[in-house]
Amino acid sequence: MEKKIVIKNVSKFYGRKQALFDIDLTIGQGMFGLLGRNGAGKTTLMKTLAALHRKKGGEITVCGVPIEKAKEIRAMTGYLPQDFSMYPSMKADEALDYLGALSGIPKAERKKRVTSLLRKVNLIEHRHKKVRELSGGMKRRLGIAQALIHDPTVLIVDEPTAGLDPEERIRFRNLLCEVAEERIVILSTHIVGDIEATCENIAIMDEGKILWKGTVEQLIENARGHIFTSNVEKRFMPQIKKEYIVTGMLSQNDYTTVRIVSDSEPDLPNTVLTEPDLEGAYMYCLHSSGCDVRGGEE
Amino acid sequence: MLFGKECRRILTSLTFIIYCFVVGLFFVSQFIDENKGDPYIPDEKISEDHDIIIDSAVDCLANEYLANNYICYPLGFYKSVRLKEDDSQKVEECLLEITGLTHDELMDIRDSGEHYYVEHGIQETMYYEIGELPVSDTITYERFCELMGQVDDILGGGSKYKVDDLVANYSYVPMTQEDREAIISDLYDKDRVVGGYARLFSDYVGIDLGIMPVFVAAALVSADRRKRVSDLIYTRKISSLKLIFTRYTALVTMMFIPVILCMISADIHLIRYFDFNDLALYKMFTLPTFWLLPQLMIVTAAAMIVTEVFSSGIAILFQFAWWFYSIMADGARLSGSISKFDLVCRHNTVFGREEFMLSKNDFIFNRIFYFIAAIVITAITAYIYELKRGGRFHGIRLFGKNSIFRHKA
Ligand SMILES: Nc1ncnc2c1ncn2[C@@H]1O[C@H](COP(=O)(O)OP(=O)(O)OP(=O)(O)O)[C@@H](O)[C@H]1O
Ligand SMILES: [Mg+2]
Repeated sequence: MEKKIVIKNVSKFYGRKQALFDIDLTIGQGMFGLLGRNGAGKTTLMKTLAALHRKKGGEITVCGVPIEKAKEIRAMTGYLPQDFSMYPSMKADEALDYLGALSGIPKAERKKRVTSLLRKVNLIEHRHKKVRELSGGMKRRLGIAQALIHDPTVLIVDEPTAGLDPEERIRFRNLLCEVAEERIVILSTHIVGDIEATCENIAIMDEGKILWKGTVEQLIENARGHIFTSNVEKRFMPQIKKEYIVTGMLSQNDYTTVRIVSDSEPDLPNTVLTEPDLEGAYMYCLHSSGCDVRGGEE
Repeated sequence: MLFGKECRRILTSLTFIIYCFVVGLFFVSQFIDENKGDPYIPDEKISEDHDIIIDSAVDCLANEYLANNYICYPLGFYKSVRLKEDDSQKVEECLLEITGLTHDELMDIRDSGEHYYVEHGIQETMYYEIGELPVSDTITYERFCELMGQVDDILGGGSKYKVDDLVANYSYVPMTQEDREAIISDLYDKDRVVGGYARLFSDYVGIDLGIMPVFVAAALVSADRRKRVSDLIYTRKISSLKLIFTRYTALVTMMFIPVILCMISADIHLIRYFDFNDLALYKMFTLPTFWLLPQLMIVTAAAMIVTEVFSSGIAILFQFAWWFYSIMADGARLSGSISKFDLVCRHNTVFGREEFMLSKNDFIFNRIFYFIAAIVITAITAYIYELKRGGRFHGIRLFGKNSIFRHKA
């Protein structure tokens, strides 16, 4: 059986509001990044893949299993919700043990996995702390551990790095890459750096549609010739921000070096064409699809 | 094991601690403190003699009719009913048929006696002293019941003439010495003392179990949503049937433990006041379990399904209404006549074995019915849970700013 998720023509409505429009996507083994602004529909798509939502029309198969077979889908899917929370009075290891039991893992096996996962996410010293006593970042790490407890084939993590410190973020990326060796891992984020470091394949979503899909290199290649740097006087900055898409700024004395995403070369002093980076490429992609991204400095 | 984990979650929840406290306190204050020493022997007993019933019912009706002031308890609340001319006329027809009198004869009886006034707030009612009325020779008990039913309907229900309650309302006669000896020997010989106390025990604890379990069950079921853990649980492999039944059994088991502890202390209490050889201690466990467990089960099952479909608040309101109706409706009868669908079965006396046995079949039907209903409801709850899990149902919101159908993220 081939390890891939095939999404064909999938739509989703919240009441009358349509949140997904005819999504077509194939996700293979390894890390897959889902990028998009707030409200783009990332969470909605991920919940649909985790069989939490009922889709409208289209079909989804996960490793050959149609999404309607909820029980099989649940058995092979690990899910980390965007707003992960757990019973606050449970201890960290108890929480994992409880969720492991719900996943049908026998007791002896569970014990081993709880310890090894707590070690992996660097929570082993905090295992006797109650969930309410964990810091925000520790809680997310617990969330990652619970998604892996039943050794799922598909791992769906919704903004897993939000709230992690840089050290933990790197640790976490490495963990995901390790995990992704024999699994499908879908990760959503608006932090471009996470994707850059881990994912090969990505999709960019906006307003419930897939704007772009492909590899990271293709996205960067796409933006070649559209990313510039200029060196301008500081006092012009407000105006430049209004007119152009600025992805980076560096101030020195009275001058500022700005990175600009633009269809054609901007009419500014000291402008040179530069090698595209992922962040700029992402902005260019949004821009070229007609999204208004000016004034953004994400 | 998941069952153990669920039990642990219940054990450490605040609502469960409150539950234990209330059940324990109520048991001690009602059962232990009120039953020190010899049991209280009632002064009256039910005779079930049809003539006695007709005699006293007709006198009561005549009094209320002449004063045009009927005391009723629809849904357990006191209400004084005054009838309009034509309804009053219909009641009079019934009265005349039962007594065999004519209108004029009745009026003569009325006017020959004294009358007096009773104040009800700002209103004054005139009552007549009419003594005992005759009863027609041709009236049968069946016809009498039929007429009483009509009167009850005219009065809007809950009156003193409700057919089911006629025996309990009108057939009490004073106990003779033999009666007293008979019920005491029943207590010792047939009930082996403990049986009588077991009914009293079930009566008291049953009042708690009609309402308290809803708090524990609703809190456990709604915890997933309140603590925003639902999605995490929904995506686990476990089947909805297994999850819901495990939680259900854990709830019922945990909530029955305090009841068992009360049974044990009830037995210990009895040993202090009676000769050990007179006591059949096991009876404190058998009848109360049959009496109380189905009740705990149905209340828990109802709490779970209402919480899943609506919310914990609605579950508590619903249960409160059901409980209140069950103990208050029909004039709040404390003993005798347990009917087929009473949630809380009352029998507030150590004696009265015979009276209890009269409704034995209905009682057995009642408990088996609720036992099965509880399991069926829990199976339906599991189905509803499965729908919610897959985003096919989002629960129904009756209050709050969202419309009836809520779309949960
Ligand atoms: N329960 C809901 N009811 C109605 N509309 C919803 C619901 N959940 C999400 N939406 C709408 O669906 C759209 C997509 O939301 P979604 O949460 O999938 O975005 P997202 O890409 O995950 O955003 P973010 O980056 O902020 O997490 C948004 O317009 C949002 O307002
Ligand atoms: Mg989201």
